[in-house]
Amino acid sequence: MKRASSRAHVAAMTAAGAALLFSFLVYVLYAANLIGFPYDYDQGEGFEVHDSVLFSQGQLPYRDTEIYPFYASNYPPLFHVMAAPFVWFFGPAYWYGRLLGFLGSLVSAAAIAYAVYRDGGRNRWIAVVSGLAFLSSNFVYHIGPLFRQHTMMVTFETLAIVMLAGAYPRRDKRGIAGGLFLLLCAGYTKQLAAISAIAAVAWMFIRQPGRALRWTLAFACAGAAVFLWLNIASGGEWWRQAIVANVNVFIAEQAIGLFILWFKLHGLLLIPAALLFVYELYVDRLSLYGIWFVAASLLGGIASGAWGAGDSYFVTSIAAICILSGIFFARILAGVQVMPRRLHDISAAKLSAVAMLAVPLLYLGYARATLKMPTDGAFSHIASALNIEGNVRQSFYDSASFMVGGYARIGYPLTAEDWAAGAEIARLIKESDGAALSEEAGFSMAAGRDVITNPTQLRNLDRAGLFKGEELLGMIERREFGIVILRALFYPPTVLQALDGHYELSHRVHMNGFDYNILYPRAQDSR
Amino acid sequence: MIEGAEDIAASALRHFTARRLSNKLWVMDGEETTVSKRQLGIALLFVGLLGFSAILAIDILDVGRQGGIGPAQTVALLVMAATAVVGLTLIPLGDAPA
Repeated sequence: MKRASSRAHVAAMTAAGAALLFSFLVYVLYAANLIGFPYDYDQGEGFEVHDSVLFSQGQLPYRDTEIYPFYASNYPPLFHVMAAPFVWFFGPAYWYGRLLGFLGSLVSAAAIAYAVYRDGGRNRWIAVVSGLAFLSSNFVYHIGPLFRQHTMMVTFETLAIVMLAGAYPRRDKRGIAGGLFLLLCAGYTKQLAAISAIAAVAWMFIRQPGRALRWTLAFACAGAAVFLWLNIASGGEWWRQAIVANVNVFIAEQAIGLFILWFKLHGLLLIPAALLFVYELYVDRLSLYGIWFVAASLLGGIASGAWGAGDSYFVTSIAAICILSGIFFARILAGVQVMPRRLHDISAAKLSAVAMLAVPLLYLGYARATLKMPTDGAFSHIASALNIEGNVRQSFYDSASFMVGGYARIGYPLTAEDWAAGAEIARLIKESDGAALSEEAGFSMAAGRDVITNPTQLRNLDRAGLFKGEELLGMIERREFGIVILRALFYPPTVLQALDGHYELSHRVHMNGFDYNILYPRAQDSR
Repeated sequence: MIEGAEDIAASALRHFTARRLSNKLWVMDGEETTVSKRQLGIALLFVGLLGFSAILAIDILDVGRQGGIGPAQTVALLVMAATAVVGLTLIPLGDAPA
């Protein structure tokens, strides 16, 4: 009986592993397809390339937006500093930032697998599928291979949490310092890492308050010193651009929609993770992973409702879910999960026997819930076998669909038409006289022109009452821009109104599922 | 006065102070000092109630503001209420380490 159950476990785990490996294969193909694309795939990537260019020239991207080229960034510097050496050798390009993001996601998955292996009783299979489960998430898939600092933030956070969880109880000073340093790196990659820092400090305090206070003081001093230096070096623009202007309106429907989607996609691992947290809260001691899971899910989820935020704000919580659920499964399978007094009728052995089949089935169900894949070419047979058809761009299936506000509407492979459309827009810029005002920086960089403005940042500043834009509006009114490229219309209303008055739509270029509006100056006598 | 008593008293005081300090630091560092489930429960209950009241107070104090409780405030109120309830349920668990 035991032998048969063990065989069924091995067979089911093999099937779950294969399903998650298939998901990983799709992720690798998506990354390979995307990495070389020389224009924006996700809105705003080009501005992150430009930040890296500025850092490579020893300049800060926190600048006065009232003077030409009206550019500023609201992102902390670390990811762009990491990409800066590539700029020295390869010039402005997207591929190295996307490669860094993709590799960062693999490092996060490896850290998750290591945490489950170390803290879950050394079950190799569960450790590996936990790491693969992270990469299988639709949310991770979208953002992983983009020129975005978010994935690198999650990598630093995950490494920090795994390191602290091991080092703090052992009083390993090097490990604690290393973990806190990685948290600092995460914070200076993206501000959202503050949530992980809060979780880590809270856990350290619960474990040993005195020591936690001393370490936190050192950690806060180091963080404040970097903050102060950035602010002084940028003449106060760091505070203005990255902090004051970085507050956006909260859209409740977006947050609720994303919470529901997050649950629908990850529920099969989320519920076991939540069960382990409740067990720790009432029966055992709270682990760092448990506190991290709650903080990242709750606070990260709420933050996802901010304008400009989205599904990526859940990625940290997905890392925590994969670790907690993996540890929970590994302990149950090993028969070492002690049950609470009230549930003593259920022995650990009985539970382990049930888990032999239930655990791999949960991973299989998770792989199905997070399924996304092309439905044409070599994948068409698999798509027919799974009875799915393209629900995104006709030839790509995404189990999440695109119905929720804030969900990244990307993930499908690029085609030759997308490359041609990007080259066409770059050609139009090259052929135009005067400066080019493009809502996405990649086209300007490809055409060898200045990157002018960062529309979302101008919008943020405008909403905070920190943008006048007199010089920019003057250039628009004098029709000094030879060409204007608009896509999402993220500019402040005054800029859009001025563009409407002085520029007219020539035609649209369709690239990567979006329409790019090409505008030229109106004839001088019109308006 | 017994000869040398002053020195002995001073030495005892030094020893006592150093020992107390050392004990205190040891207790701060030791595995024994950890937050209990009851302490965590009280802290969460306090944070939850304080946060809940503060969010409600925004509407009472900020007289010029229009629109009543918005979506962000509603979410924050729910989170604070949940925090207080979890805190309340932890208090009966006593000195078990959190």
